Order: sequence, then structure tokens, then C-alpha cells
Amino acid sequence: MPGKQLSPWTLAWFGAAMLFLLLSLATAMSGAVGPGDWSRGAGFAAVHLFTLGWLCLMVMGALVQFVPVLTAQPLARPRLALPALLLGAAGTLALAAGFLWLDGHEAMRPFLRAAPVLLALSFGLTAAMIAPPLLARASRALSEVRMVLLALVALAALWISGTAMALQLGGVDRMPDILPEGLPLHVLIGIGGWLSLAAFGVSYKLFAMFLLAPEQTGPVRRAVFGAAWLALVAMLGAGAALLAGYPVGAWVFAALAVLLPIAAGFYLAEVARIWRLRRRPKPEGNMLWSRAALMFLALASILAGPGLWQGGVWAEAAIFVALAGWLSLLTLAQIIKITSFLTWIQIFAPRIGRSPVPQVQQLTDPRTDTLCLMLWSGGVAAATLSLLLSWPSVFRLSVAALFLAALAVAVELVRIRRLSHLDPSLRPASLPPVIRPVPVPVPQPEIRT
Amino acid sequence: MTAPAPLELDIRALLARGEEPFAAIMSAVDQLEAGQALRLIAPFRPAPLFGVMANRGFDCADRERPDGAWEVTFTPLGPAPDTGLAPGSAPGAAFWPDPAQVLDLAGLPPPEPMVRILETLAAMTPGEVLFALLDREPMFLFPELAHRGHEWAGNFAPDGLSYRLMIRS
Repeated sequence: MPGKQLSPWTLAWFGAAMLFLLLSLATAMSGAVGPGDWSRGAGFAAVHLFTLGWLCLMVMGALVQFVPVLTAQPLARPRLALPALLLGAAGTLALAAGFLWLDGHEAMRPFLRAAPVLLALSFGLTAAMIAPPLLARASRALSEVRMVLLALVALAALWISGTAMALQLGGVDRMPDILPEGLPLHVLIGIGGWLSLAAFGVSYKLFAMFLLAPEQTGPVRRAVFGAAWLALVAMLGAGAALLAGYPVGAWVFAALAVLLPIAAGFYLAEVARIWRLRRRPKPEGNMLWSRAALMFLALASILAGPGLWQGGVWAEAAIFVALAGWLSLLTLAQIIKITSFLTWIQIFAPRIGRSPVPQVQQLTDPRTDTLCLMLWSGGVAAATLSLLLSWPSVFRLSVAALFLAALAVAVELVRIRRLSHLDPSLRPASLPPVIRPVPVPVPQPEIRT
Repeated sequence: MTAPAPLELDIRALLARGEEPFAAIMSAVDQLEAGQALRLIAPFRPAPLFGVMANRGFDCADRERPDGAWEVTFTPLGPAPDTGLAPGSAPGAAFWPDPAQVLDLAGLPPPEPMVRILETLAAMTPGEVLFALLDREPMFLFPELAHRGHEWAGNFAPDGLSYRLMIRS
């Protein structure tokens, strides 16, 4: 029976991811990264606090929450959610600390060896929760589920490539040396494989839900899947070859320079179709800002071509737009809506029919949300430009804008959880904790027969 | 293949604290493995539960223990026949009376359908049936229905574009 659809630790995943976002941006602001300057230990630390701590934990938390919604099947072993989160956070911190060895902090080197183990445990526990419902016979045929499964294959490859590099840096001679050739592949598998494909899969469902559009699959979705599958095969093939000691041929990057934009293009066409079929005349802020994120996806796909051919500033800009523009803006726009929705369900669903309940929209402040997301988008645009033109001071200023925007979103999320925007007359006397959503005591029903 | 050992749930402490045991029982039922029975220990004979569990495809056997507590074993009656209903649907729904209320909730943004359904149910007489037509499977409604002790049965229309839901008040 699809019973407990609210995973009790969802907000802890979201909260941890937000903290990692702030931490990574603070590290970047302190000068750890800049145009043409991504290879110092502190830079790798900042990038991984962002990709692994912010985006990866957020995607995993979102999957733990939404796989039951995607598949209409309960999670397997939901109790693993908290250990998976703690191990993921510990693994991220260990990896970031380990990278500082590159800057001469000798004592940090063992962390490079510990991080892959912690992350493997975190990914494994998460897979143990979400793989059974995803692989159930009834769910495997769903387009959103197939996309998430493809993303999980990419996550495994991401871990293998990352582990090979971390162990090489950590001084363990167990896996083949794949540095530095493995790095571009690792980036591509992470962004074009794991994070983007998971976002594609979940967004099929959530976009249709928020826009009140029919949930239909069609030829375009199959084309997205086909292109993504081919791109992933190219990445995994090149990765396997590299591990076996063969160099990555230039044809791999040429193929990806074609396949990744094609997959993104089909996906954008599919979202445009959902948008056209919507029954909600005026989409809410989360969808309007998701549309801005989709524009960043288009921009990243355009930049990916020269980025894959020439590298340099084009690659920097493409990666930055994909991570901060497409994936982060999408997440930030949806997280506000999702947090208010889950908070509403948690607090007010038990009260429906027993006392007046507010609307979900009353839990948020659309003006603040718009300002935060506008600041974020402006920061991404300015930072991208500063990367293309190699302007370090503008880049740093832009990252400061991103930090402010992220901080404002974090404050807004806490205010949503505390029902701060809601008229006091509609606010219950006791609220659940900000992070752990234990059920609120409500008038109990009698046993019905 | 032997059936797994019964899952035991003692609701005496819960009742002593004045708490409502229904949600705990339904949660235990949800945790059962295939073929696993539920052994319930209660301070009284929980007769109202027998009908609910029969509807969910469980046979029951009860006995009073020497210490005055009642021990009821709910044994699954084997796989339910494929009724074309979504998992979690009440197997006995085919025998429910005709709907007393019909709601067309297509085109409403979530969670509005859930609000309308629960508000309507609250005003209905126990035993009456509500029929609702929705755009999608109301995943967040099901736990609330279970918590309030309502049985439901639902499935997608053959074209996959609307979800049909019956709920017993």
C-alpha cells in the first residue's frame, strides 16, 4: 500500500544541501576559484562542496522523497534515509578536506582515501531505498523512471571515476592512474549524466503536476532517452578504456559535443510540449523560474560545443552555466515550492475538514522568492561573462551575489517551515521542528468499520 | 516456501497512554512481507478491526490469553485476485454501495483535490461512498485516508488521463 509518502528526513537532506551551497560559495568568495583558476586544492574543495554537497545531496534527497510519487510504490527500507544523508555529508566533507592536501596540508591526505568509502556507503544505502520501487515491473516502463535509472548508472560511473582519481591523489596504488585525462570525463558524467538526467526524470512528473498538464509519454521522450543513452554509453566506454590503460580518443568528445546538445534539445522540446498542454493559465513562480533554468540549459548546450572542442574559457563557462544556471536555479526555484507544499501537507492535511486550512501559496512570500531568484540568475549571468572574459574581480563579485541569493533562499525556507508568512489566526499553536517532520498531534479519528 | 514468522504488535501501552492505535496497526500491516501474518495484542477484543482487515484480505483468529489480554492473528488469504485496482485499494470495494457524493476534481491544482475530498468526507455519514475524478494519482491523500481510517479503491481510466477514486466514509 502506498502509505507514508512523506519521507521523514526529506527536509534534513534539503537543509544539509543548502548548508553545503553556502559553504561552497563562501569558499569560492574567499578566492579558492576564479577564471582560469580551478586546479588548486581549495578550488577542487569548493567545486565538490557545490557539486557533491549541494547538487548531489539535493538530487538524492529529492529522489528519496519523489521516487514513491514517480512509481506509486513505497520506498524500500525508508529508515536508511538518515544514515545515507549523514554518510553523504561526511563523504563530501572528507573529500573537500582531502583536496587541501594539494595545497600542502599533508595531514589531510588520508581523507582522500576515506571519502570514496563514505560516499559508496551513502550511494549504496540510497540505492537500497529507491532501486526496488524503480525496478518494480509496474514502474520500469515509465519514461521518468527510465531516465532516473539511467542517471543512477551514471552515478555509479561517476563514483568509479572519482574514486580512481581520489585514490591516485591519496597515494593508493590500487586503481589505474587516470589523471589528468579522466577529469573531463568525470565532469561530463557528473553533469551530463547523473545530475541532468535525474533532473530530467523528476521534472517530467513535477512539471506536469505543477502546470496541471496531462502525463503522457511520447516520441520526444523516447528521443531524449535515446540520445542520453548514447551519450552515456560513449562516456562509459571512454571511461572503461581509460581504466584499461587506453587514451580517450578525440572522437568521444566530438560525439558528446553532438549528443549532449541533442539530448538537451529534445528535453527542452518535451518541456515546451508540457508547457503548451498545461491547464493552469498562469504558472506560479517556481515554474517561471524553472523556465529561466531551462534557458541556462540551452545556453550550456550551446557553450558545450566549443567547450568540448577548445576547452579553456568555453569549457569553464559551459560547466558553470550547467551547474549554477541550469541545475541550481532549477533546484532553488522548485525547493521553495516543494518545501511549502510538504510543510502544508505535514501541518494542514490532518486538519482538513476539521478546521479552516490556508492555501499553500499563503506559506510563501512570492516577492521575496522572485528577488532571491532574480539575484541568483543575475549572478550566474555575470559570473559566466566574467569567465568568458577572464575578469577575476567581476567573478568574485558575482559569486558574492550568488551567496546572498542562496542565503536569502535559506532564510525563506526557514520562514516557510515556521509559517512566518501566514496570518497568525491560521497558525497552529505548536509547529513541527524545522528539520525533522514528526507528525503534528491532531484530533484522533475513531476506528471505522 | 515457509511463511515468515508473524509480526507482533502490542497496542496495550499505546492505549494506556490514551493514543489511537489505528494508524499504528495500519502502519504494521503496510510493513508485512508477502505471506506474513500480523499478531495483535490488545487489552480488549478489537472487534471493529475484523471487518477492516477482512476487507484488506486477512483472515482472523482470536483468543483471550490467561493474563486477560486478547491475541488476534490476522493471516493473509493469499494473493488477492487482480481486480485492476491500484495497490492499496480495498479488495471489497466492488460490494460498496453506490456513491452518495460525486466530485469532478479535474483541472484543480494540488492540493485542492485533497482538500475537497477530505472536507466532503468529513460531512458524510459513515459507510457512505464518495466518488472522485482526478487528473492524477493523489499520492499525498492516501496516507491521510489511512490515518483517518477510510478505505479507498482507485485506478487510472483506460486512456491514462484521469484517475478514478472511490472512498468509503
